[in-house]
Amino acid sequence: MDGNERERSELQKVLEGAGERPDRSLVITRRTFLHKSLLGGAAGAAAYGWFPLINTLDLALGAQQGFKFAWISDNHLYPKDVNTRFVDKAVRAVKELQAMKPAADFLIHGGDLAQLGDPVELDLGNQILSEVKIKKVYIPGEHDWYLDMGAKWTKLFGPSNWTFDHKGVRFVGLDTVSRGPDYWTAKKMSPKERMGHMATLDGSVAGAWAGVGRDQLEWLNKTLSSWKKDAPVVVFSHNPLYEYYPPWNFWVRDWREVNEVLKPFTNVTNIHGHTHQVLYNELGKMRSIGMLATSWPWPYAPRGVPALTKCMVRADPGDHFDGVGWSQLTLTAANKVENEYVMWRKDVLAEAAVDSGCADNINQEAHPRIADQEWPYYGAYK
Amino acid sequence: MKTARYGFVALGAFLSLAMISQALAHKAKHTPEQLKAFEEVFMEQVRMGDLLFHGDEATQKKLNVQLTKTGMACAMCHPFGTDNHPAEFPKFQEQIGQFATLRDMINWCIEKPNEGVKIDPDSPAMKALEAYMYWSARGTKLDPGRH
Repeated sequence: MDGNERERSELQKVLEGAGERPDRSLVITRRTFLHKSLLGGAAGAAAYGWFPLINTLDLALGAQQGFKFAWISDNHLYPKDVNTRFVDKAVRAVKELQAMKPAADFLIHGGDLAQLGDPVELDLGNQILSEVKIKKVYIPGEHDWYLDMGAKWTKLFGPSNWTFDHKGVRFVGLDTVSRGPDYWTAKKMSPKERMGHMATLDGSVAGAWAGVGRDQLEWLNKTLSSWKKDAPVVVFSHNPLYEYYPPWNFWVRDWREVNEVLKPFTNVTNIHGHTHQVLYNELGKMRSIGMLATSWPWPYAPRGVPALTKCMVRADPGDHFDGVGWSQLTLTAANKVENEYVMWRKDVLAEAAVDSGCADNINQEAHPRIADQEWPYYGAYK
Repeated sequence: MKTARYGFVALGAFLSLAMISQALAHKAKHTPEQLKAFEEVFMEQVRMGDLLFHGDEATQKKLNVQLTKTGMACAMCHPFGTDNHPAEFPKFQEQIGQFATLRDMINWCIEKPNEGVKIDPDSPAMKALEAYMYWSARGTKLDPGRH
């Protein structure tokens, strides 16, 4: 049994306690939902011919009034003169969000607004998001942070973690990116080199950077201590709060401790970015939903895709708007909440194995890269 | 004169032996040093391909190629070389609309998603990219033609 398998069997043991399931008020459906407000009116389908780019979520909360909020993340903006494609998609996401009727109560931006943490990229993102007129909250992604260690991001968007209560739900924004171990000082890396390694998903230099950290765990524990154990909690994080695929930081390294803090609560939903793909998992009493990116889809990892995930269709590299999208949770007559992923392409979830982004991985041995494992570093990021 | 003739004969004999030894290279017993040298030649290509695949500008400059104009690098859609599926080529490639080799597909990706400049299929950059892709996928079963 290799290290990864050992880790995974521990994940099962620790997080999937006997007979424990999350609250059944949330299910994922196979249907694709087209936002009716965008199809109607003068603008019509022509103006919004593709439906990228925002994730909207409805929560039904027992006797409380239901409501809706939106998620946008993983825009990976370059300066405008380098890549207009990603800018276009971010702009569309914002336009669609503004067109929502009824309006969402707030927008959560889930990180990776920028590609290389460049102030030009962050300013561009901030300018695009300034068109959103509803309340906005932000958590950082690693691409936003490691050029200047969050200085510009914090200046624009404020603290990297926070909490607020809204219509009976406690929302928590976690910072899972800023507490990476120092891989740069000993090697005397420039800020650009540091950022370059962090921006390489399959790089080996930045290591297991995704984590919540002792101090933030204490803060989370304190934040939730006054909250009723059966009242809903929604935790936003850039990375998933469980172990999916550590080599790409599709996890937080301290998921055991996070689980310890969240375990007493019976209605916890984690909504995360970073993975750029349809993901669904249940861990004890917590459910976890991965959001789509506006920029590009990551392939499913060679191992570790949660068994409860219904994989999305293999993305077509010839179509810039395939594999990206948004998501809506809708209150049903049975007082259940349904999560529906929305993409420009109607086939969101694979029906046939040959089309599945996971089944496609069956005959595939993948290996870590080599060129960044040597020091002095061979080539790049000077 | 005689000495010179013997000299030519000796040189001829030496060259013949060298040619025979070259022709029978795979029959000769390899030293560990030779095997290491062979591997180094390959791994050098892999390293170069890795850097190209991950968007390294210095390597692109050195090989006089421009694999992207959008900032995108191959690895951004293919971390660890996933979804490259080099073992499935050649095959009918849907995006290209015809029977394609891995090199055809590499060039398609450079030209379309990356919006870079197509490279010579026999160029050092192509060989390095190919080396990295095969190396990343080592252990995968050959399955040519699979969609």
